[in-house]
Amino acid sequence: MAQTSGGVRNIKVFRYDPQQGGEGHFDSYVLNIQDETTTTILDVLLRIQREQDPTLSFRFACRVNMCGSCGMVINGKEGLACKTNVSHIPQGKEVTIRPLNHFPVIKDLVVDMEPFFKKYEEALPFYEPREETTEPAVIRPGSRERQDIGMATDCIACGCCVSSCTMCHYHEGYAGPAALNRAFTLLADSRDGLFEERLDRVLASCYNCRTEFNCTEVCPKRISGTRAIKYIQRLALKHIKAKPETIEAEQPAVAQPSCASEMAGSMAGNMAGNMDRRTFISQVGVGLLGTCLALGVGGVVGAAFVGPTRARTPRLWVPAASLSSIPVGDVTTIKINYETKNGLYTQQVAERVLVSRTGDEIICFKASCTHLGCMVKWDGNAGRFRCACHGGAFDRNGKVIAGPPPKPLDRYPFRVDSDHLLVEVG
Amino acid sequence: MIKNGSLNYRKPLSWGEYDPHRRGNTRIGMWAWLWQRISALAVIVLLGLHVTLTYRPLIQFLLLLAVTFHATLGLRVILLDFNIVGVKYHRALVGGLVGLGLVVMGLVWFSIY
Repeated sequence: MAQTSGGVRNIKVFRYDPQQGGEGHFDSYVLNIQDETTTTILDVLLRIQREQDPTLSFRFACRVNMCGSCGMVINGKEGLACKTNVSHIPQGKEVTIRPLNHFPVIKDLVVDMEPFFKKYEEALPFYEPREETTEPAVIRPGSRERQDIGMATDCIACGCCVSSCTMCHYHEGYAGPAALNRAFTLLADSRDGLFEERLDRVLASCYNCRTEFNCTEVCPKRISGTRAIKYIQRLALKHIKAKPETIEAEQPAVAQPSCASEMAGSMAGNMAGNMDRRTFISQVGVGLLGTCLALGVGGVVGAAFVGPTRARTPRLWVPAASLSSIPVGDVTTIKINYETKNGLYTQQVAERVLVSRTGDEIICFKASCTHLGCMVKWDGNAGRFRCACHGGAFDRNGKVIAGPPPKPLDRYPFRVDSDHLLVEVG
Repeated sequence: MIKNGSLNYRKPLSWGEYDPHRRGNTRIGMWAWLWQRISALAVIVLLGLHVTLTYRPLIQFLLLLAVTFHATLGLRVILLDFNIVGVKYHRALVGGLVGLGLVVMGLVWFSIY
């Protein structure tokens, strides 16, 4: 560890000089870093500024992952310079540092965050109580509402998520993950008085999300913007359904407030009741959806696999021999070959047909004994079919004349088609 | 260039611009989105081919492949949208669903041919 923790690194930093204008470019610096595991990108930038290039501009304040000032793109991934160590970048690889996407660049790594905060403000990022109360509202730590909001209030507005999101580039009016996350923390809050207005403002933006999870991947606070956006979408869905009910449920609570704490209690009760019903409906919905999906997928798979085995296999006519090759007054053994398909399994079948021809009459016997399925052979001298296994014998018409077989020989249905004998199998 | 008082701002950098290591940092969620779009285009093209040039096993196979990708990645979004699967499993969901889809597709393919 100690051997590989230090070394010389090439650092490429994006430079843009507002006095010169233009597109900007990368400047390269070489830095000898003693211990990469304890050196942050911010340390690197400070050292470059002190030792090599005092004109380098960048933003920072707290240095401990709290203020969100030093968001930048480090080797193709957004992050806080103070939180990213040099050792996070593979050994020997150059370090490239560039400003955040989607914000005008003021100088070098400093971007104008105004578009970010403008969109933040549009989402009404402040708390407005539902009504004036003298008692604090009771939101228990274990409540569903509190757990849903979770640590999403930890956002430090560093802009990493907006920079990583490709949709912020393609959709001009898209509020971006940070603003929507902020809106989510307030929309999920039952004390919030601006629910409708906030939902109106942010809902359209939510449908710009393409579920790429870029914002979730880069967030230094491990907040999932995607989760917040999906939550708002579901909230809107529930809200449309629950709208008339919530108005009714709220009226008695407002009409008879004996004291503030009681009112808070009854409100909490109402909320809990609604939540239960919603949970029930959503669970039933999920159950139904799951059942439909399972039935759909199961049906398709079942039809594909079980279907062929259940379906009546079509009758197969196999040509046995030409009629002229079968002598009259004798029994001829003919081998037939055919293919059967059973589900996914295709089988090559070879069978023997015993053709007895006397005058105009033709009988096609199966050459397997009806006792235990051994092969039956024609004994021309004795004029009978014999089975070698247990001494079974059949006469010329297949009737049992000796031994254990319980019934006469099975016969194939057959037909003669232009001098060809065809037997039906399967 | 954007004028702001006396300062000339550079126009915002776009995703991937001056960004040498971006592609290596493109995560699975974004690939899932991208592949669904690509497979959608593939479905349109291959469906056209499938209708005009019937019973070509190669076209049929590619069409089935494109449909499988598109369907499984679409299912991923549905599952995430309705919170049937939590967002913290989103990475596993991509591999799992596409894998499952390919297995089902393989079985369907071999049952046909």
